[in-house]
Amino acid sequence: MDDWRLITTWDAPPAWNMALDQALLESPGAPPTLRLYTWRPAALSLGYFQRFDDVPAAQRAACVVRRITGGGAIHHQRELTFSICVDLEHPLYAGTVGQSYARVHASLARALAEFGVEAQPRGEAQLSSDQAGTGMCFHDSSALDLVWRGRKGVGSAQRRKGGRVLHHGSIKLDTTPLEGAIASVADVRAGVAPHEFAQVWLRAWGPELGANFRAGAPDSSERALAKELVKRFEDPGFTRRR
Amino acid sequence: MRPNDRRYTQTHEWVKPDGETMLIGITDFAVRELSNGNEDDLVYCDLPEPGRTLNAGETFGEIESVKAVSDLNAPVAGEVIESNVNIEEHLEVLAKDPWNAGWMIRLRPERKSLDGLMTAEEYEKFVAAGGH
Repeated sequence: MDDWRLITTWDAPPAWNMALDQALLESPGAPPTLRLYTWRPAALSLGYFQRFDDVPAAQRAACVVRRITGGGAIHHQRELTFSICVDLEHPLYAGTVGQSYARVHASLARALAEFGVEAQPRGEAQLSSDQAGTGMCFHDSSALDLVWRGRKGVGSAQRRKGGRVLHHGSIKLDTTPLEGAIASVADVRAGVAPHEFAQVWLRAWGPELGANFRAGAPDSSERALAKELVKRFEDPGFTRRR
Repeated sequence: MRPNDRRYTQTHEWVKPDGETMLIGITDFAVRELSNGNEDDLVYCDLPEPGRTLNAGETFGEIESVKAVSDLNAPVAGEVIESNVNIEEHLEVLAKDPWNAGWMIRLRPERKSLDGLMTAEEYEKFVAAGGH
């Protein structure tokens, strides 16, 4: 069993969420870390390379930040957000990028099944949630994505830096007006709270991932780095850099 | 066997002497890890402007595939004198020919020595052991 640090931060500010994830990524020697969190206020996050003007929902969102992971924009409301930060040598990330997604998604699919959601990798299927021109993560899909009822319900992206990986993900518990027509846990069971899904996922992590989670917190150097980085994520010049 | 006219890093970049300059790119292993073997999975690449000075190991650019953003790191120190802007618009080149047409930047190196970087043979062993 591998000892993992579990950090939960409910209802944290958007820029702080992004800063803390980058600080955990840039923390060599840190234990494998799973962070589970939600956002207050709700915010739209742009993918690292996205152009602000290519995401119409960014004009309508009350709060917008830019992630350091790639992919499309996500509206972080009515979801459980996670970040995994580990060394690339960790068995969870051995092999190709696709293999690492498959391992994480397998554990998520088991958790979703506990709520009656039959999630599976998209594969070659066509999705009704795919929509051109929105720039939204959940309106674009790849074969690796977890889907149910013909729509995408889990969005994820990775950043690989300095021999470590940050794996971001969003598990939709319900839909929002900015992301309509996607899959969510509410398709099958309404009213599932983020912390409720989190508890089930931790149990479903499974023996093949072999994690022994211990509740923890960022250490002093990670907190100091996050405090410094938060300025960048609050800076409109960074959010609108493209 | 990968080309033995250049040296390799543990973060899967290569550096090849070319006259007074050096060319830098990423290996077939890096491309395959990022793209799952599907060249369409590579979506963005940012390369530096000429004139930028890099330290060895410094990040000079970033590449995004459908599912991951990765840093591009300079194997040696020097000044960027040219970026291969063609690949920013045609990322499929990286999958087709990472060793030649897929070069990313041309450096005027601080030093000519490539000591400390892996030979092709050493890189083969590194990749065979997992590449991390």
